Amino acid sequence: MTIKNVRDHGQRYRPRMACLKKVENVVLEMQDPKTGVKSQTQRLVITTIPHAITGEDIVAWIANRFKIDATEARAMGTMMVAFGYIYPLQDHKRLMLKPDTSLYRFQTPYFWPAQQWPVEDTDYAIYLAKRNIRKKGMLELYEQEQYNNLYKWMNHKWDFIVMQAKEQYRAGKERKKPDRVVFDCQERAYWVVHRPPPGTVSAMDYGHDRMVDPNMEEKKTPDYYRRIIMFTQQCIMRPRVKSSVSIGALVKYTTTYKEHDPFLHACLPSNPWLTDDVTYWTLNMPNVEIPTKMRVERWTFSFGELLMDPRGRADFRLFLKKEFSGENLAFWEACEDLKWGAAETMKEKAQQIYKTFLARGAPRWINIDGKTMDITVKGLAHPHRYVLDAAQTHIYMLMKKDSFGRYLKSPVFKETQKKAIAPEPQRFTETQLEQNAKRRRPSLSPIILRQQEEEQKAKLAASGPVDITQLCRFTAPVPHLAVYTGICEAQSTASPGFMTLPNSAACPSPISVAIDSTPASERRFDGNGGPSSSHFPSIAEASVSEEENQPPAPKSRMALSLSRLLRRGCNAPSVFASLSPKCAVASGGGKVQPLGVEPLAQPQPRRIANFFQIKVDIPPECRIYPIDSEDEEDDSPDTARGGVKEIICPWETVTKQEGTG
Amino acid sequence: MPLSNNKVADDGTSTQPLQEGKALVDSLIKAVACYRHLASCIGGCTDNSSLRRDLWQTRERAQTLALSCRNHLTARLRDKTLPEAERKETEQLWVAFSSCLELLHADMCKVFTMVKQFSLANNSTMVQTGIQGGTTEVAARALSLHGLQEAGDGPQTSSMEGQELSQLEQEIAQVDRTLEDMELKVNVLRWTVEALGPQYADPVSTDSASLALLSIDEEAAQGFCSRSQMFAAMMLCGVAIFAVVLSVCVVFLV
Repeated sequence: MTIKNVRDHGQRYRPRMACLKKVENVVLEMQDPKTGVKSQTQRLVITTIPHAITGEDIVAWIANRFKIDATEARAMGTMMVAFGYIYPLQDHKRLMLKPDTSLYRFQTPYFWPAQQWPVEDTDYAIYLAKRNIRKKGMLELYEQEQYNNLYKWMNHKWDFIVMQAKEQYRAGKERKKPDRVVFDCQERAYWVVHRPPPGTVSAMDYGHDRMVDPNMEEKKTPDYYRRIIMFTQQCIMRPRVKSSVSIGALVKYTTTYKEHDPFLHACLPSNPWLTDDVTYWTLNMPNVEIPTKMRVERWTFSFGELLMDPRGRADFRLFLKKEFSGENLAFWEACEDLKWGAAETMKEKAQQIYKTFLARGAPRWINIDGKTMDITVKGLAHPHRYVLDAAQTHIYMLMKKDSFGRYLKSPVFKETQKKAIAPEPQRFTETQLEQNAKRRRPSLSPIILRQQEEEQKAKLAASGPVDITQLCRFTAPVPHLAVYTGICEAQSTASPGFMTLPNSAACPSPISVAIDSTPASERRFDGNGGPSSSHFPSIAEASVSEEENQPPAPKSRMALSLSRLLRRGCNAPSVFASLSPKCAVASGGGKVQPLGVEPLAQPQPRRIANFFQIKVDIPPECRIYPIDSEDEEDDSPDTARGGVKEIICPWETVTKQEGTG
Repeated sequence: MPLSNNKVADDGTSTQPLQEGKALVDSLIKAVACYRHLASCIGGCTDNSSLRRDLWQTRERAQTLALSCRNHLTARLRDKTLPEAERKETEQLWVAFSSCLELLHADMCKVFTMVKQFSLANNSTMVQTGIQGGTTEVAARALSLHGLQEAGDGPQTSSMEGQELSQLEQEIAQVDRTLEDMELKVNVLRWTVEALGPQYADPVSTDSASLALLSIDEEAAQGFCSRSQMFAAMMLCGVAIFAVVLSVCVVFLV
């Protein structure tokens, strides 16, 4: 049994096209022998068939009936032909009204377009089979292809289809010849409307179904009035803007984006939807090396545009790295990740962001004003998705007002602009268009795209920007911080005995979530530092080479896996034990240090910031502490030497005292 | 309820139940094909009471056939002792039967809406579709009657039409129920049924006449006609010139 229309969702069918009923009424008006369209006889070789009408008569009648001018009448007539109420007798594949003596005829109501019944593929198969029966090889190429497809899909019904086609053909023979011809024309016209030849569109392509039948009169029930009341109340509550302001904004938007709109302006090299050639899409991939000129121009429109485009953001990141103010963008990205990320890791992410960016003595400290800091800190006691919104907005504005302007004048941007490509518009002939249509292929699976995205992020994190405040000597990576902060350039290991976290002042312990769950197999310390550095996007420049001096091997692998895991939010504290050669410890400065200052060689517990308690705790092997404060307390007595400087945030002490983790 | 028709039992001339089933399904397919042809005339300029009557009769016939078909096929498919090959064939018939019934159902729904819109009793405007002849032959084919039945055109009153409409509605509901029942009673897996016949049906006949009509219709704009005429004219001229040359030669020789 064929599955019936499942789009109904159990409701009565509610069509969308209100115009069909109205066109039907117009068509019926045209039938009037006195006031309708003049009908002629079509002369064929053997016989004559009545009720043919000329295009010009139709146009004249419509213009007269609706009191409109000829062009509009012609457009309306074309619409009627496109829907299939009138079909052309010559040139049957082009459904348009020609205002000359070309002949048309009215379609029989059985073949009128209707929305109640979906057009069945079975009927189409029967029609094609019938045409094939009449004369072998009469099917066109696209019809042939569809016939083959239908044969595959409807194989179980095929005998029935062939038999039904034969029977319909034989039944047709019982009719008189002119009637047979007319019926064939009618059926052919019907299928031209509903299965358009390639390169044309069906007028019955109407998109989603509406929930309401526009042709139906609505009963005035209490529900109806309730709806009207709600609607008007919402209208009143809507905030209003002066029309001069809103129109001004619209005008500004349209003048800026006029050339970038593919509807209004030709898309270079060519619009893939029209020509089936995907060069445009490949040139504008999210992380393409060389962007197009139009894309680069769009970055100059507003800061939002620059950030929303992944390529633009990468360029901006590069610029900020050169200016050593990458932490702003990193913080912004971290906040975005918090807002849009999974709910289970949200709390840890929020804390981590705080400790990386906002806390005093944080490795990548960003500069926000006191009031925002207050709000943020208060909010972080009960973290939720939007807890860092205020700070994020502040940083956004800062970047917009300050860095953006400088970026647009910077050599990085000018370089990108110079290298940007402006593709030539493509011109295709008919045959080439057909070939393109045949060569259509589906794009990459979203799973693959997501994997690529994640790999990119991990690579970015692995060879991330410099952490200016932590020019520590220790080479150990900070895997858990890799996602947002990257790994600070570790200088040569002074003490090979233990590897330390570069950003050690930031608490390694709370962040251990991701590390904990890293399976041991992923942590390999072979010299695969090479790949990670080379994976860095090509926009990386020589200045980054300092990063590459470090042995990136262990950290890149870990960073990759950890960043992945962080995203997944795994929580398996049991694994951390095997993380031995990693890092945690730190000496590093407990405070934020200005750029270029050597890190302190020894921990300086005395320089504890008043606001925070800083525990110095250097484990012999670099143990990563799980995020729970309880575990932290458990682990701290185990540590003998080495030190982990944790920044314990004020609310944590409160919570610790309360005994809640 | 449609009248039970003894004719059905006479259709399958062989005693084999399979042949009988096939014959039933074939007749049903024929009836549905004719019904479609008739339905395409509704609302057109030849729509009159005789067309409506033909429709009604064809529909009755189709429903009777459907009923007997269903009983026959259901009985066979539920028979556990059926050999494998025959079961496959019966399943084929089953699929054909259910698709046919779906087509009939769709056509009946369309006819129902159309009859409501183009009511004979109210003298609604009919569309000038260019059809000229009647459809009695088609109906006769469906009913397997060899003679034309010329029954008189009774005037259609609105009450009669209303009655017919409600009856049609009931019949549609009944076919719906039949379809559902069928699916419940017998489980035929569609993906196990394979087509036995060829992908392309053999051309049934050399119906060159209507073909010629259509092709001329299509190609008139291209001037193909004139080209063929020119070719013929040239041939004629060539022959004439040859004849003239021959006669001149003869004259000279003589």
